Amino acid sequence: MRWATLAWMLATAPAIADDILASAPSELSVTVYRAPFRASGSIDLDSLGGFALISEVRTVHLPAGLSRLRFEGVADGIEQASDIVTGLPPGVIEKNREGKLLSPSALMAAAVGKPVTLLRTNKITGKQQRSDGTLLSDAEGGVVFQTSEGIEALRCSGLAETFNFAGVGGLAAKPTLSVLVRSAEASTRTVTLSYLARNFDWAADYIATLSGDGKSMDLGAWVTLANGNGVGFPSARTQVVAGRVNRENGEVEPLDAGGPILAECWPRGSTSDTAAPAYLQFAGRAESDDRMFKRSVAAAPAAQAITVTATRNVQQEQLGDLKLYRIPSRTTVASRQSKQVRLMDRAHIPIARVYGADLAADQSTPPAPAHLLLRTVNSAANHLGLPLPSGRIAVFASRGEERLLLHESGIQDRAVDEEVEFDLGDSPDVQVTVVNEKTTGPARAQVHAIRVDITNARPADINFELRLQMRAGGRVVGADHPVTIKNGRPIFRLAVPGNGTVTVRYQTVPAG
Amino acid sequence: MGGARLIVVGCMLYVSAGVPANGADRTVSVTIYNDDLALVQDRRDIEIKGGRQRIEFQDVSAQIRPETASLAASDISIVEQNFDFDLLTPAKLMEKAVGQEITIVRVNPATGAETREQALVLATNAGVVLKIGPRVEVLRDDGLPVRVIFDKVPDNLRARPTLSVTVIGGHAGTRPATLSYLTPGLGWRADYVALYSESDGKIDVQGWVTLTNSSGVTYDHAHTLLVAGSPTQVDGGAQRNYYRGPQPRTTLQQAGTESGSRERLGDYYLYPLAEPTTIANLQTKQVSFLDVHGVPAEHGYEFHNRWLGTSETPQSAKTIYSFSTSAHAGLGDQLPAGILRFYMRDKHGEPQFIGESRIDHTPMGSTLSLSTGDAFDVKVRAVVDKRTRQGNFDWQSDMRYELSNALPRPVTVKLLQEGLWGDSRITAESQKSTRRSADTAEWAVTVPANGKASLTATFETRF
Repeated sequence: MRWATLAWMLATAPAIADDILASAPSELSVTVYRAPFRASGSIDLDSLGGFALISEVRTVHLPAGLSRLRFEGVADGIEQASDIVTGLPPGVIEKNREGKLLSPSALMAAAVGKPVTLLRTNKITGKQQRSDGTLLSDAEGGVVFQTSEGIEALRCSGLAETFNFAGVGGLAAKPTLSVLVRSAEASTRTVTLSYLARNFDWAADYIATLSGDGKSMDLGAWVTLANGNGVGFPSARTQVVAGRVNRENGEVEPLDAGGPILAECWPRGSTSDTAAPAYLQFAGRAESDDRMFKRSVAAAPAAQAITVTATRNVQQEQLGDLKLYRIPSRTTVASRQSKQVRLMDRAHIPIARVYGADLAADQSTPPAPAHLLLRTVNSAANHLGLPLPSGRIAVFASRGEERLLLHESGIQDRAVDEEVEFDLGDSPDVQVTVVNEKTTGPARAQVHAIRVDITNARPADINFELRLQMRAGGRVVGADHPVTIKNGRPIFRLAVPGNGTVTVRYQTVPAG
Repeated sequence: MGGARLIVVGCMLYVSAGVPANGADRTVSVTIYNDDLALVQDRRDIEIKGGRQRIEFQDVSAQIRPETASLAASDISIVEQNFDFDLLTPAKLMEKAVGQEITIVRVNPATGAETREQALVLATNAGVVLKIGPRVEVLRDDGLPVRVIFDKVPDNLRARPTLSVTVIGGHAGTRPATLSYLTPGLGWRADYVALYSESDGKIDVQGWVTLTNSSGVTYDHAHTLLVAGSPTQVDGGAQRNYYRGPQPRTTLQQAGTESGSRERLGDYYLYPLAEPTTIANLQTKQVSFLDVHGVPAEHGYEFHNRWLGTSETPQSAKTIYSFSTSAHAGLGDQLPAGILRFYMRDKHGEPQFIGESRIDHTPMGSTLSLSTGDAFDVKVRAVVDKRTRQGNFDWQSDMRYELSNALPRPVTVKLLQEGLWGDSRITAESQKSTRRSADTAEWAVTVPANGKASLTATFETRF
């Protein structure tokens, strides 16, 4: 065996570069971006589709000559292609990320063709028997090894067997970033590492409270941000960015976190149908079940803590064509945590309640509930006038001391001075019925006489908007109420009295 | 040479057949193309015995295309090449032992005492049936521990797929031989980092080559050459995706006509790595190839409206950054395909990510216009105001475009109306358009600071 050991030592010539470990981050910055595909709505803690830019300041002591600088503890969702390292001497040769992680199967694969020590333990006496050998194969989950006695397969004998691996190294527990650098002289440097990492997200969560008379509302909002990574960022400067940024579906760097060793053997059929005794069970199978269980526990949302920090508002600034919100003091973005910070609080915002319906202009439709919107303009005169990032809005109304939820809906990015509409859902008290009373004319030039009944079972007068969808080139003629055009579509603006009905009649004529 | 011999002895322990080619004087060169394809040239000293002999290569890529492998050395002739992918597993070992003798060792579970017997393997169908002396037995039918010891590993069974070449050597002696083959599983692309400075309208661009290896083996100390290009591969090669999704924007505004100093091979550009590198399996490696500072870049806005596109709510315009790759006031290099990530400094001077865009292979001297995302404050609402029929296939469409700008400075939006198929004319417009192509009309609309602008156009279409 001496020969083989010697050969092994020669084959793994000493690494040419010394490994240098960068210090733990002394300064952290996390900027969270929203999921690019989500135009409105809040985040989903189970699948965080956004990402974050993470910057870490670390200290390294570089010796003169070639060294391999290793950064440990980076986020598991790191996109290696995006990383930037600044502060190193000019001789950066390459940056690497190892995708082959330390696992039982990786250990086994690394040991193929190399000497290992087989350990057999007597289950009764506890006595161990050691024999030196060579690992021949780990192909397709089966393990074959050779000792001086001959060739055997691992864990097919029913004995307690395992290997001692010696000298198998170079496998990291987590994806680790390393930089190969040649330095002219020994120096201590402050290095900044920046990278994009997946599995983060944020959204704005608005809470609107309607006043008693329904003519104004108070609007408050939280920034809700979440980190789904297994790495936390203590005492980090934290920002979120609003606006949609382009993301290309870049290739994902290969990663092998290892599979279980199944120790597959030869066919095990026996002359009996009874269950095999416990020590015949696959050792690897039990392990793999356990592994799945662990993974599901790790992903369980129950483990996620929700932290509400003190109500100090975020500070907004312009970042190119995006909006950056800075969380005023350093905060810890812990692993698998969602966090809320106050975005804004505004009171007495005048609102208009508008009922409405979108209808095909020339078809009968059975009674359908009207849609209720709250409409305002995002202006300083309305006590707003600040960018409203997309998210979810919950509308509440007061009932004495209590607050009751009326409706929840999504809201898109709204710039200053834009019209803002909050959906309040359908109102069964206001129903719209369309009747095509008469159709005349030849097939391609039909004229429809339409009657629309709007019924209001509420005690108060309401504003109603009837928007019509026309066929190309069609027109509305002979209407008995004033009709205007909004966004290229005919619209009737009506006041429907409390407990009353309004009937609108018009005719549609086709193009040309 | 003593070291090399020892290694050969070490490997012979587990594969007895053939001569493993495992020379210490090994040089590997890897040429990597963009399209998941690499040419590996593996040069090493091989001991030629003279006469017929099999040479095994165990450390070739696990995804090797064996039909492309070729071995070249002086004074040898190739008889045949084999690629064995019958893997050494316990089940195969037992299967190949059918009709042969094996040694079984019964272990007393209480005392650990061992009893050795010779057994003939009769069958391995769903269970192992043995003949021991006159008795026929099912292996481990009683569940008690039994070790099975085989004398040797059958030929052709290996831990990894193995390429073997049978040669007839001329004179005996050690001489260099080069094995070359194509393999998928190695690929590269470029990744760019662009830091845009808003105050002076300039970008700093760094370019990195990103190399990934999922071919199953590690290439130690390899001379690496990257080729910007994708050679045509026919059936049997790596899978190619012939369908390309709709391309929403053209990033290359003006194709360049300049030549740089980069090495070329045919019409491909070559990017050799300065020193040999170890490309580990499942490793992602990045090497710098471009570092340019202070290139003028233009920041603009663009809005594309499809034919008869109309929206109830305003839609964000795209944020566009454009710059040149010319030697004069540009990056001064051709750019291999990849992803360009834009950063900008925030109020505290920290670089923040503002979006990314894919670029294709770009010749030197080109103008690139890249979209990083949507502008929060610059929006456009396109509305079809009216459609009137002029004749059977003749329509008049009145379009209105409302632009708004919540930024404290005026902006210019490049407004593009697409889908003007056939004989489409603009009969009236509130601002002069340019016809970028028969299909697309373009307006440059200036929107005042914190203000609005409006544009109307009447299209006459005959289809």
